[in-house]
Amino acid sequence: MTIDVSHGSASLACAGTKSGKTRRFAVHTVMILLSFLSIFPIYWMIVTSLRPENEIFSTSLWPSNPSLENYIFVLTRIPMIGLLINTTIVSAATALLQVVTGLFAAYALVRWRMRLSGVIHGLIALSWLVPFQVTMIPNYVLASRLGLLDTLTGLIVPNAAHAFAILLLYNAMRSFPTEILEAARIDGARSWKILWQIVVPNMGAPIASLSIIAFISAWNEYFWPLLLSRKPENSVVQIGLQMFMTQEGNLWGPLMAAAALASLPILIIYLVLQRHVIESFMKSGIR
Amino acid sequence: MTDIQADLARPLSVARAPAAARQRGTFTVVPWLYLAPALCLLMMWTYVPLVEAFQLSFYQWNMLPTSPQRHVGLTNYQRLFALPEMRAALWNTLFYILGLFPMSVIIPLFVAIWTQDLEGRARTIYRALIFVPMIVAPVVAAILWRWLLNEDQGLVTLGLETVGLGRIGFLTDPKYALATLTWITGWKLIGFSTLLFSAANAGINPSYIEAARIDGASRWGIIRDIRLPLLSPTILLLSMMTILFGAQWSFAYINVLTNGGPLKSTTNIFYLLWEYGFQTMSAGWSSAAGMIAFAGFAVIAAGCMWLTKRFAVYDN
Repeated sequence: MTIDVSHGSASLACAGTKSGKTRRFAVHTVMILLSFLSIFPIYWMIVTSLRPENEIFSTSLWPSNPSLENYIFVLTRIPMIGLLINTTIVSAATALLQVVTGLFAAYALVRWRMRLSGVIHGLIALSWLVPFQVTMIPNYVLASRLGLLDTLTGLIVPNAAHAFAILLLYNAMRSFPTEILEAARIDGARSWKILWQIVVPNMGAPIASLSIIAFISAWNEYFWPLLLSRKPENSVVQIGLQMFMTQEGNLWGPLMAAAALASLPILIIYLVLQRHVIESFMKSGIR
Repeated sequence: MTDIQADLARPLSVARAPAAARQRGTFTVVPWLYLAPALCLLMMWTYVPLVEAFQLSFYQWNMLPTSPQRHVGLTNYQRLFALPEMRAALWNTLFYILGLFPMSVIIPLFVAIWTQDLEGRARTIYRALIFVPMIVAPVVAAILWRWLLNEDQGLVTLGLETVGLGRIGFLTDPKYALATLTWITGWKLIGFSTLLFSAANAGINPSYIEAARIDGASRWGIIRDIRLPLLSPTILLLSMMTILFGAQWSFAYINVLTNGGPLKSTTNIFYLLWEYGFQTMSAGWSSAAGMIAFAGFAVIAAGCMWLTKRFAVYDN
């Protein structure tokens, strides 16, 4: 016994010695490399966007005389502000609708024990596995029949319900104490009132997580807008960016400025809500 | 079983309050009203289109509303299987998925284990930095790497030249384009996967590690016999995500950067679907290829779930 203990403390003591220091150094090296790899492309985007035209191919780590001329060029060449407003509308509406449809569906599955709830749960979960590229042609035909081509509504509606949203809220709601729901029901409260006055106020954290993830995913969405949009002024910023790249692909300064403007709102959200954003994504896995 | 519970509850609630009885009258309708928005949307935009795509795969149609759809039976499928394009796209899909594994599973797993004693401020800063690529839009990521890897003035190209390696056509040489796109797809995942593994690794009960150490287990022995088995649910989850969604994640990069080229070397199955559908306007081919992809991935998904059930070790 005593031998075992000393063995254990011996290995602990090692941590403070030379080999421990080398290890610490190695650990930091790995993490610094990984951080550099993750952040440098974004840093380089910002630096390039601030370089005046005659300095664009310079490899200095900071422009010698930073200027905003690239940003001005972008703002005059493409309707960037309009695109950003459109994208904000689409992302906010998508997030809001996913929360509402998700809350309703999760509430129905948690509160009522229906004979079909297993089937419905499966149907919702399986819809996640259908690749969008498989259903895109019928979706496109449906959207054009409904007159949704080249509209913001068309970008929002097909994403207004998502398996991920329903399942996230369902799992959060399942841990809600049923006694409280039962008590409210016996008091004669209507299901509508129970949902808004008892369930929703207690679901702040999962609703916030879902809103963050849904907003960022909608902001970054590319494929469906690519099919639906015709004119840049009716579209979202990702499409504007892609069109700008196709037209002015080698104007690196303005291109980086456009990319920076397109990611600015997301980066601001990340700076402000950093811990919440990381935790939301981690708790719910990959979308 | 739930019905039995409902029956047992019935006499009680009837005795207690008429309100409860009234509510039982609406028992079957109300939950469906709550489910309706989500179910209608999923039906309208996922399941009905899936069935329609299945039907379309037996037709020839150029996607113009005015032109007729001609029934051709299994011809679409026969043609597709005979096409070298399709076979190349399937191989490329496999390459994307296998190429993603080091970046979405293997490296993050070992980085997470290797850096587990990091604490305090340094840890928070690393976490904040390596997560960033995850929230960068795919189009932005594509543009960033297009600039860094540019053949004339990109920073990576200039760097390689100073080392004396010469220029590489990362996106224009068929030998490298597929690997480049896989790298960009993986760049977005590597930090996030590391964070997931770190969280799972930190959740391992330290008394197991302590017990093994007291028994004289080596560092590698502890990793092999305790950490890896207890991390297996996360390993399997991320592997499954990579297999099922990896090829889909790369779509935006293919579309923005290479359009499937050079020489079709970066076309995967999902890009092929898009090309058939919206470039060559052959809805039948696209749908048939879509059905093949869907069936293939469904089989793989079922296999993965079986593997998870069979091999994942949970610490209860």
